[in-house]
Amino acid sequence: MKNISEHQRLWFYRVLSLLVTAVLAHLLAVWAAPRVIMQVLMHGPQAQKMNMHNQAAFSEPVTARSRSVVMPSPDMLYSVCAFDLSDGPLRIQAAPVLSTYWSIALYASNSDNFFVRNDRQAQGKAVDLWLVPDTGDAQGHTIAPGAEVVVSPSRQGFLLMRVLTSDYASESAVLEPARRTLRCSPA
Amino acid sequence: MSKTGHWSLRARRMATGAALYLGAVVLGLGSAWWVLKKAPWLNPSVEVGAWRANMHAGSQDAGMYTRATVAVNALLALGRDETMYFVASRDDAGHALRAQCNYRISGVPPQARWWSITAYAEDLFLFDAPNGHYSLNGATAVLDAAGAFTLSTGPNEQPNLYWLPTSGQRPLVLTLRLYNPAPALQAAPQSLVAPAVQKIGDCA
Repeated sequence: MKNISEHQRLWFYRVLSLLVTAVLAHLLAVWAAPRVIMQVLMHGPQAQKMNMHNQAAFSEPVTARSRSVVMPSPDMLYSVCAFDLSDGPLRIQAAPVLSTYWSIALYASNSDNFFVRNDRQAQGKAVDLWLVPDTGDAQGHTIAPGAEVVVSPSRQGFLLMRVLTSDYASESAVLEPARRTLRCSPA
Repeated sequence: MSKTGHWSLRARRMATGAALYLGAVVLGLGSAWWVLKKAPWLNPSVEVGAWRANMHAGSQDAGMYTRATVAVNALLALGRDETMYFVASRDDAGHALRAQCNYRISGVPPQARWWSITAYAEDLFLFDAPNGHYSLNGATAVLDAAGAFTLSTGPNEQPNLYWLPTSGQRPLVLTLRLYNPAPALQAAPQSLVAPAVQKIGDCA
């Protein structure tokens, strides 16, 4: 067998290192994409404008001008809260008395949906959640009786409340007060 | 070789090396973008008629690629026990959906508590809809004697059909959402009776 020269060996390692660099850049981009998108969602210009840090904010009904999150559903009224558990648990409360679909979904900072509570599961009762970090530490707070403890896999994340609307113009008088029962505040 | 020539050669080699590594990074980032935006077949999905669904959307079990694809294309999706999302970017004949074409979409209400069909442009935002129709849903759908619904999308309103206006010379994406789908459908998404997506006439 013919021995490869030092020059060929050098080029082999150069090409190999370029391929490794490309693969690492690819994997890093795929890993980082959901995390970066969530950071923009939680701290970007729209989040600043809506003032949603550890408090509930209420989006306008979805139209063609709604361009902060892809694939907005025109049949949902959205309420949001960007949570941060660094300083302690967060208490989430809502009492939307509605006969139609609604849900409260919690997303981790990597975009995973780790909790959902919908109207059927709530069975007409008010939602009272204590969101604690994955250490399970309520940091000295006493959980209110009847409240449900939810462990967040990340200290930062996002709450999205969906309320179904088929005809906002005729339903707003009922839906708006119902969704504005959402509270999202440090315990 | 003079000392100046030696340094010049070395600088050229370093510049070439830096350009090659920069190219490798661009290749890595570009391939990531391509995979997430243009190659959904890399993710596990179910195909029913013209519709495709990723069964791990919104799930904590999602792999790295599924999680990134969902974040880019359907951020804040719910898990399939809460909501199932079927997406169509081609008609029943296999042709890419275009906003300048008119389509008839017909089917029977899916087995879910509530459902909707929405038209999006390729940037996954809504088209301008002067008539206020962004979607057809379980409340607005009128069923015929056979229990079927029909709607149209495109630049032109079709007689007697619920119309979702689309505009421009750009791709079209349809999304079928099923909220609280029936357990049987969750277990076997391929059992969905897929709405038909058929082009009407020639494109504008």
